Amino acid sequence: MTETASPTNAIVVEEQETRPGFIGTSIPRKEDRRLVQGEGVFFDDVKRHGMGFVHFVRSPYAHAKITSVDVSPALELDDVYGTLTGDEVAILTDPFFEMSVPPGSEIKDYALAVGKTRFVGEPVAAVVAATRELARDAAELVEVEYEPLEPLVDARRAQEAEAPILHEDAGSNLVWEGVFDWGDWHSCVAEADRVVRIKELHFDRFSSTPLECSGCLVEFNRGTGQWTMYGNHQMPGIGAIWMAPALRVGTDKLRFVTQDIGGAFGNKICLHPYFVACCLLARKLNRPVQWTEWRTDQHTANAHGNERWFEETEVAVKADGTLLGFKTHAIDDCGAFPRYEPLGCIIWAQVTPGCYRWQNVHVDFTQVATNKSPVSPNRGYSRMQHLWFTERVIDIVANELALDPVEVRKRNYVKSDEFPWTTPNGCVYDSGDYGRCLDIALELVEYDRIGIGSTLDSGTNNFGQSQLLNPDLQFSGNNEVATVKLDIFGEVVVTLGTVPQGQGHETTAAQVVADALGISPDDVTVRPGHDTYWNSHAGFSGTYASQFAVTGLGAVKGAVDQLAGEIRTIAAAVLGGVPEDAVVLEGGFAKLRDNPEAAIPFMGIGAIVNANNAILPEEARHVTLNCRYVYVPPFEVPDKERKYGNLTLTYASQIHVCVLEVDPETGAYEIVDYAAVDDCGNRIHPQIVEGQVHGATAQALGAATHETFTYDEQGNLLTPNFYDYHVPHALDMPPLKTGYIESPSPFTPLGAKGMGEGGGAGIHAVCAALQDALRPVGNPIVYDSCNPPHRVWELISNPEESRGRVAVESR
Amino acid sequence: MLLASVEYARPRSIEEALTLLAANPNGRALAGGQTLVNVMKARIAAPELLVDLNHIPELRGIRETDEGLELGAMVTYTQLARTEEVHRERPILADVAAQIADVQVRNRGTVGGNVCSNDPTNHLPPVLVAVGATMAIAGASGVRLVPAEEFFVGVYLTAVGPGELLTGISVPRRQGGDGFASVTIGRDGTCIANAAASRNGSLRVVLGCVAATPVLIEMPSADEESVRSAVAAAELDPPSDIHAPAAYRRQLAGVLAARAARQASGAA
Amino acid sequence: MSEPVSRKTISVEVNGTTYEREVEARRLLVHYIRDDLDLTGTHVGCDTGNCGACSVIVDGTLLKSCMMLAIQADGASIETVEGLGADGELNPLQQAFGEHHALQCGYCTPGMLMSAKALLDENPEPTEGEIRRAIQGNICRCTGYVNIVEAIAAAAEASP
Repeated sequence: MTETASPTNAIVVEEQETRPGFIGTSIPRKEDRRLVQGEGVFFDDVKRHGMGFVHFVRSPYAHAKITSVDVSPALELDDVYGTLTGDEVAILTDPFFEMSVPPGSEIKDYALAVGKTRFVGEPVAAVVAATRELARDAAELVEVEYEPLEPLVDARRAQEAEAPILHEDAGSNLVWEGVFDWGDWHSCVAEADRVVRIKELHFDRFSSTPLECSGCLVEFNRGTGQWTMYGNHQMPGIGAIWMAPALRVGTDKLRFVTQDIGGAFGNKICLHPYFVACCLLARKLNRPVQWTEWRTDQHTANAHGNERWFEETEVAVKADGTLLGFKTHAIDDCGAFPRYEPLGCIIWAQVTPGCYRWQNVHVDFTQVATNKSPVSPNRGYSRMQHLWFTERVIDIVANELALDPVEVRKRNYVKSDEFPWTTPNGCVYDSGDYGRCLDIALELVEYDRIGIGSTLDSGTNNFGQSQLLNPDLQFSGNNEVATVKLDIFGEVVVTLGTVPQGQGHETTAAQVVADALGISPDDVTVRPGHDTYWNSHAGFSGTYASQFAVTGLGAVKGAVDQLAGEIRTIAAAVLGGVPEDAVVLEGGFAKLRDNPEAAIPFMGIGAIVNANNAILPEEARHVTLNCRYVYVPPFEVPDKERKYGNLTLTYASQIHVCVLEVDPETGAYEIVDYAAVDDCGNRIHPQIVEGQVHGATAQALGAATHETFTYDEQGNLLTPNFYDYHVPHALDMPPLKTGYIESPSPFTPLGAKGMGEGGGAGIHAVCAALQDALRPVGNPIVYDSCNPPHRVWELISNPEESRGRVAVESR
Repeated sequence: MLLASVEYARPRSIEEALTLLAANPNGRALAGGQTLVNVMKARIAAPELLVDLNHIPELRGIRETDEGLELGAMVTYTQLARTEEVHRERPILADVAAQIADVQVRNRGTVGGNVCSNDPTNHLPPVLVAVGATMAIAGASGVRLVPAEEFFVGVYLTAVGPGELLTGISVPRRQGGDGFASVTIGRDGTCIANAAASRNGSLRVVLGCVAATPVLIEMPSADEESVRSAVAAAELDPPSDIHAPAAYRRQLAGVLAARAARQASGAA
Repeated sequence: MSEPVSRKTISVEVNGTTYEREVEARRLLVHYIRDDLDLTGTHVGCDTGNCGACSVIVDGTLLKSCMMLAIQADGASIETVEGLGADGELNPLQQAFGEHHALQCGYCTPGMLMSAKALLDENPEPTEGEIRRAIQGNICRCTGYVNIVEAIAAAAEASP
């Protein structure tokens, strides 16, 4: 049954005056010139006279009491400037703000371990010295006495009676738990022809490991009490919310400065403990202090992506493959300290049904702490885990019911004429055409035996989602800020609230401004990076969560439209008191539409307002040519009772198809063909969008084939650096074909959707392709998101073991 | 990442190098640095003196002789991969060298470093045992020759004693075919398991990654079945690590032995 | 100089300029370049010599500057990313990287450019496979290498 789209359902993007513009074209990136010359400024490039280098003394135990810390041997070395211990931190700071409800809210989290250490690599003390090498030498001399305790490394055991407790203040390893129940699971089971039961699926710990590690150089101004941090924190808004109360100061005392950041992918959101330690040291030692995280530190003690187990999953389906509903128990391992958690416990719900139309969902969600590295949002944060789960479930269902996975998906995908689509929990998918993307992907590859990964990149969060976890939290909505000004010589200068790490914000912002003002992007200056002292910003400012094209560019559009109006106001007044709509902006001039000879260059407009305002009539004197706009997406506070409401504004999609060949004797496999098709609505800069798709694919392939943060029973990380944690290089990449469609978003200023995280589509495409390839050798079930050769060989040599995880009940 | 204090010396001859090593028992020879510098970054090893071998001309150079090839200990993987004589005389060396790590590592990493570090996952130890190479070790009392089979003594341990230096490797002329097979972490990455094979009338297969030193197995016959049985009969006890549990390594050993043997027998 | 020393004043030519500085023997070449010479274009991305962000050309040889001591470069001639262009003009490789969107965050880019330069210096018409092999030692987490390979191929074609 098809319906033609009725006017109320139609997706309409407002028609604008058509003229050739820069939006939608791939202009050269403003960032590139300095970066290809090695003239970017990354935090470690910044130097200050007299600076000291920080080295952290780190715990060798996953779980231990700290009985004493003696820094005096370190202080005896020449040119060691000073130290910091947990005891000092506990006196000088208050614990960081926790977002969870009890017991998670009782966790005490400080800049250094206080009294106890809870993961290998946790910073226990800090030493500052004149050189990097000396700081390292001195750190080795610090004597720490530990009383080892039994570590907890399996999240599934965290709530057993004998499990070691990480946080005595909480009295439990539980960080958060809740039940999500939408639709009617029991009646959909009654309606089902089959119930497929899957014992356990596992999404591995890994992270996008940005090439530049974390770090900062911190200066303290004794006169004003202000700290300036040259670092790579990607979300200073929340950084300040954590740090300021901890340091017992106002947020204005914390100045975050970034210029270039070497990738972040979410890994640079929770840097506040390290930054606070450096702030305390800068103040205590009265000199700038610099901390560079080394690769091993990043892998052991920065942040991982959430590890998640899906237990006792049940899926209700009709014989023809129509998916009715699913039930599962998700156990999320957030490592030793929650920090940004428990937000991950709700963020998956932005994509509860994945790309599919099922309406009956029951999820028991438990998040626990373990003696592993804390987690932080990682590219695809919390949705990736859930989307992998839904894809895996659908593929297993197709496998067990002997249905074609392509057909099952197409039967169940939300259809293009059904958008905007409301999910079982009230999220609104704005637009898309998943079936068409899948078709394009299938056409791009030259094989029939394939694996599919369909994912959504939900972008622009409604932070009201946090209230579904903790009703006492006062967060909701979202915002982003931009300013655009016309300077005295006619220069157009833009500042952003965002903190780019390679996404080309300077370039795309310039495109939007150029189109609105009728100038070239070359004539638009966008201040590189972010400086909280100078750039206007709001509570949610930062670069994360696939939102820049919506929030960042929404703010830019708002500000530049205001500026365009102000320019027209001045020009209209000066060009003979005409109405404002008689003025057009073209080529750097404000002109009369009907008499283009009557024109004022932007320089003239700037000069009048800044230096010659007495010639202006009264009604034009309010113009400042310095416009600030806060973009606020249309959100409401969700319904806390039902856990219902719209949690994200836009939904970009990516459908990936993978073809691989397995060597049955070794389990090694090679991807021989691969296609990624994306839909992110209107593409502001197509080349940038494609680059994000390439990058997301590479990260997904790494996660699927090798990248896992695995721990031994003592809580030691077995992949603590790039030697053991293999990330794809140029020879590992398969031939990669891409395609795209554009389903404009009806909800955003430019019809664009945020994109960039990619949702981990490639992870499932590989899993599904493996599943398909292994069917002839006992039909093992792929149950883990990461499948290096040894795991594939295990599936091949013992298919019964994995098959034992799946059972199909006919009704 | 940051090294402990160390001293540095730059000898210009083998003699000078030996003198320095003899005078400094906590000194280490610095060849390509592609292993040693890493180890020093992690402070797993902290030698007191580094004797830089990179400026000793006698250690470089590949010579063809009647018996085969003479490789200076400081010949780099890149050199090995590109030298015409190697391609002609013993191409397996060039093929394997070209698979080691990446361009940057190959430009500095040396054959001497590869064998002297004797990391069980290294490529060259199994290959050199398979081809029957001989190592030349210089010391205070002159040069002694040690067959490759006896050169590898334990994990990270070789026949090179304190105050001694590996100066060269002799590789005999090829009689039959050679082969090498591996499973690696990513393309051309670190070996999870590897096997080298060489036919010289009979067939010998040498397994890496499964024990502290390369495991040499003389094969009664070259057919796949008996190669695999011989490997199974060797009762290997390989280590388990994140990339391969022991049982998987054992499986790979048999598979790769057969593949290397097949290559050596001329079938691809 | 075969006497053991723990520090030395070394003379190193970088991009045509000769620098004399005293260094500890233990200082890595990459830290010498970045911290002592203030040439911060060369980057550090790992601590096991795997990522290639620190790649430079020493005496005509491409290598990872984190895997070499500064003191080993005494008397050597080094090329870094800062020496690729001239007078603010971008060389064909740098231009191609920009045109083909071969960089996003730019952190791997200097090392990538040096590896590309080393390749094209000796192989002016590389195949795709040869390009991939040439940059195998340079990790990028942003681009998936697709555009990097394209850019290097384009630069090869553009060069006389």
